[in-house]
Amino acid sequence: MSTASSLNPTSQPQDVVAPLRLTDGYQPPPSIYDEMMAAPGAVRPTWQKFVSSLDAMGSVELGRRWEAAKRLIHENGVTYNLYADPLARERPWELDPVPLLMAPGQWQSLSAALVQRARLLNLILADLYGPQRLLHEGQIPAELLFAHAAFLRPCHNLHVPRHTYLHLYAAHLARSTDGQWQVLADRTQVPSGAGYSLENRIVISRMLPHVFHDCQVQRLATFFMTLRDTLRSLALHHRENPRIVLLSPGPRSPTYFEDAYLARYLGYTLVAGDDLAVRDYRVYLKTLGGLLPVDVILRRVYDVDCDPLELRGDSLLGVPGLVQAARDGNVVIANSLGSGLLESPVWQAFLPALCRYFLAEDLQLPSVQTWWCGRPAELSHVLANLQQMVIKPAFAQRVEEAVFVDRLSAEERSQLAARIQSSPRDFVAQERIARSATPVWSGERLQPWQLALRTFLVAGEEGYTAMPGGLCRVSAGGQWLGDSMASGEGSKDVWVLSEGPVSPVSLLHPAGQALSLRRSGNELPSRVADNLFWLGRHAERSEGKLRLLRSLLVRLSSESETETLPEIGVLFQALAGQGQLGAEAIAPHPLLRPRVLEDELFACLFDSQRADSLRSNLSNMHQVAAMVRDRISVDSWRILYRIEQDFRRPPLPRDFVQPGDMLALLNQVLMNLSAFSGMAMESMTRTQGWRFLDMGRRLERAVHTCGLLRSTMVVPSSNESAVSEAVLEIADSLMTYRSRYLTTLQAAPLLDLLVTDESNPRSVAFQLAVLTDHVENLPRDQMNPVRTTEQRLTISALTGVRLADVESLAEVEGGVREKLDRLLARLVTHVRNLSETISHTYLIHAGPARQMSELAPRKG
Amino acid sequence: MRYKIVHTTVYTYSEAVPICHNAVHLIPRDAARQACLYNRLRIKPRPSVLEQRVDYFGNRVTNFAIEQAHQKLIVTALSRVHLTAAPPAIDPAASAAWEDIRDALASYSDLVEVYQFVFDSDLIQASAELREYAAASFPPRRPIVAATLDLCQRIHQDFKYDPTATTVSTPLPVVLDLRRGVCQDFAHLAIGCLRSLGLAARYVSGYLLTRPPEGRPRLVGSDASHAWLSIYTGNSGWLDFDPTNNVIPSLEHITLAWGRDYSDVCPIKGVFIGGGQHGLNVSVDVAPIA
Repeated sequence: MSTASSLNPTSQPQDVVAPLRLTDGYQPPPSIYDEMMAAPGAVRPTWQKFVSSLDAMGSVELGRRWEAAKRLIHENGVTYNLYADPLARERPWELDPVPLLMAPGQWQSLSAALVQRARLLNLILADLYGPQRLLHEGQIPAELLFAHAAFLRPCHNLHVPRHTYLHLYAAHLARSTDGQWQVLADRTQVPSGAGYSLENRIVISRMLPHVFHDCQVQRLATFFMTLRDTLRSLALHHRENPRIVLLSPGPRSPTYFEDAYLARYLGYTLVAGDDLAVRDYRVYLKTLGGLLPVDVILRRVYDVDCDPLELRGDSLLGVPGLVQAARDGNVVIANSLGSGLLESPVWQAFLPALCRYFLAEDLQLPSVQTWWCGRPAELSHVLANLQQMVIKPAFAQRVEEAVFVDRLSAEERSQLAARIQSSPRDFVAQERIARSATPVWSGERLQPWQLALRTFLVAGEEGYTAMPGGLCRVSAGGQWLGDSMASGEGSKDVWVLSEGPVSPVSLLHPAGQALSLRRSGNELPSRVADNLFWLGRHAERSEGKLRLLRSLLVRLSSESETETLPEIGVLFQALAGQGQLGAEAIAPHPLLRPRVLEDELFACLFDSQRADSLRSNLSNMHQVAAMVRDRISVDSWRILYRIEQDFRRPPLPRDFVQPGDMLALLNQVLMNLSAFSGMAMESMTRTQGWRFLDMGRRLERAVHTCGLLRSTMVVPSSNESAVSEAVLEIADSLMTYRSRYLTTLQAAPLLDLLVTDESNPRSVAFQLAVLTDHVENLPRDQMNPVRTTEQRLTISALTGVRLADVESLAEVEGGVREKLDRLLARLVTHVRNLSETISHTYLIHAGPARQMSELAPRKG
Repeated sequence: MRYKIVHTTVYTYSEAVPICHNAVHLIPRDAARQACLYNRLRIKPRPSVLEQRVDYFGNRVTNFAIEQAHQKLIVTALSRVHLTAAPPAIDPAASAAWEDIRDALASYSDLVEVYQFVFDSDLIQASAELREYAAASFPPRRPIVAATLDLCQRIHQDFKYDPTATTVSTPLPVVLDLRRGVCQDFAHLAIGCLRSLGLAARYVSGYLLTRPPEGRPRLVGSDASHAWLSIYTGNSGWLDFDPTNNVIPSLEHITLAWGRDYSDVCPIKGVFIGGGQHGLNVSVDVAPIA
């Protein structure tokens, strides 16, 4: 049973074990090209092996494997997606388990045509950003350049090694009814999607390993190897081991998933504009150890956003001075700055002529038929045939506003015609295209959906090569598949079959080759260290706050009347000391109004308007963590994600929430916070990154404990033992205390445990000792014998605690523990200064770039 | 005429600026009837790197960066410029009809460098309103020089010079609405009008010698940095017009740079970090020399 045509399901007796075939009932619309079926019932030869393998597997097994594969996709989403919000879609579309298959011969001619197109586009860019022969010889209308906002004059005559302007190029294809591929759009600036192709391939080849092997599918890894080789060979310095970074627009960008995925796969440092600095017109990566030279930038930031000095001034994504660095040839940028020029549809009308001009060849791969209205003959053709046209802005960049004229009312149509006539050069008209159909797995059977194919090319030593594969997007019939990558409802892996066996290629090192040992250290980007530092601070601050709030909640929800629990007032003082409470809550007799207290607690927990509420704290923590998503292990991220989820849900209206409910939530969050700190202690390599995370935590805990003690112990309460118990509980040291002193609660042993005992991980002394060690190990000029400010601060604070006499700290004079107060106040000041010094020395290399023109002179 | 020009710009910051990157158009370019005899940039603190280049429009640009913390940046441009001759006297009525110039621009590829000044730029977008304002000066077949003179005269008359009315970032339609502005606004306005008709016009940044009032010495530093426009007129090439003063620039207008609009030739463009509150002081001194 090699082809579906031999099958006639209706003739099968019902009792024979003959599971339904996947192709049964697959009926593409008659008028369009179908990738799998040559005619009803006739599977194309390319697909036969694949289809019969799937049939052999059966739809139940396929469904089971697909479920497993979806878990991997979800995991990747959790791994790379910023907010990991199940409601927001992690990808623009769902992956489909059935790949698009392409025959070797067909692929060969398609890829040869794509290579020609990439060469051509590169030559056009080299001319327009160089000698501009096209303009001076009148080969193109000058409007194409001068009316085009994407022609960036500062990028004219940049130093572009080997005249390679396009290192990566993506063509957006559709197959017309006669089976001919056509280009709908060119992506020349920051062609995205190759990372998704790779992800799709990994998922599908794991899901169908045998089918994948039997079908002899060409590997994608060669494409990425060429990319790596090309970028390495372009480096002007450090040829052996150049530093290459992937410049991303950052976690808020929709491409961030792919940026992080690709950076990890290619082994490049993922950076944002802030991570780079230009000094002496060279580009550097800002790290803890100082500035490290960058040789090559693989950018995912649009042209205009790359340099606020010479390009768009209000963009925060770029690096001031980058254009001059590129002009001087001190850095290679892929793709070259300004390459977005060729993305607009207007060029498609001129490519056939330009191909003959530059290559003396015919353009092998046609674009969809395009007419530029800027010339009278084309304009009248377009107006005469308007009904069949798709109208686009000629110089559109990225944002596609395609107008399908046949969907317009008569009035809208005449308005459009008038707009075109009033500025014809701003419009192109394109023929409507039909797309081919390909099978999509519905969960039970295959259905024909229309497809769009994005193919990728990379510049190599010997010209361009196409990725044997691509990103296929599919959409159920009827819906328009736009040219942008986000359109469509599903995506597919693309299998380019090979004539013979395929040798496995991988970007990972071959097994026999010894890896040079590496220990990461000072190369940590300062921005990453900064975010880890704050992640530590926010995590600890949340925990401290949570413990305090929990102790209060426990007491409010206990059986005793609040009036009989004297420590409640003191604990509220502590909360107020953290700046949590309004004056109202600690007004004269709060103890008599438990309901007011509960309201106040509720606000301290959930009110996102309060900058210091637990919810705000946790949300800050999550945001900072997201900025360093690629530095946090999947497990840790999952914990952070869960915390965020627990607290994100809007709480029930206040009236329905009992203290007991809040308590359960707090316990759950506390457990997750502890799990996170446990992961940090047990699973993070002791790099500088970990050090900054831990320093943040220690600083915060020291400040928090000092603050707690100041507001509870400096002025002894009438019932000190109840207060002491609460304090020990908040500081998670009650058990230790009990094991040492049983139930007698006294100030001196408590202060010893929480301030001076270096063996208690909750004590102030412990934090200071750890901080001292961290500070000793920060990157610094080892030749300089003088102690740094941060060293002096930690030593002074630690010594102060070590020399303190607990007995005298516990002494009460005139109703106040004056010495205790002084010591704690001094420690807090020291720790705060330490935090500032560390920030200043290691973390604040930068700030937002500002324009001098904010204050430009008024002229005469 | 020969002039000595001292153009000083002082930025002050309430907090230290650790680094700044700049690109400045402060060296007078050579032009048809102008030669820059001497120029020097004095920058304090000393830039760690300084490079000169020629931009897309042929202007001389200096890129520099200061990589030491500073609270004050002083950029002084010293130049000596020779204006070799006044522009030839033209009979406005004898120039070509403006439509002929418009049509020629799109047709001849040797006019390509001129043609680029027909198109929209960052700060100047052609519009129906601008075209409408221009229309009164550009009836069919009117000679282009006569029409432009009329346009500049109308701008001078209809718009009030008012340094408080607009800022650098005030969009052109607002200026058209307010009927107020400074030289930069008026140059943009005239250029926008001309481009709306399909003509090529460029923005000229430069200096102007202000005549001292009778019997009083010329005040040093009272002269401002100035801006006007240039229009392509066919056989007579580019001709300058100054709508702010309603004059045809001659031996008292010194050209610094030209481009499509202010943003192409901004005298000092810079990006800095930190700085807190900042202040600015500019002085220009244009003195005739022997």
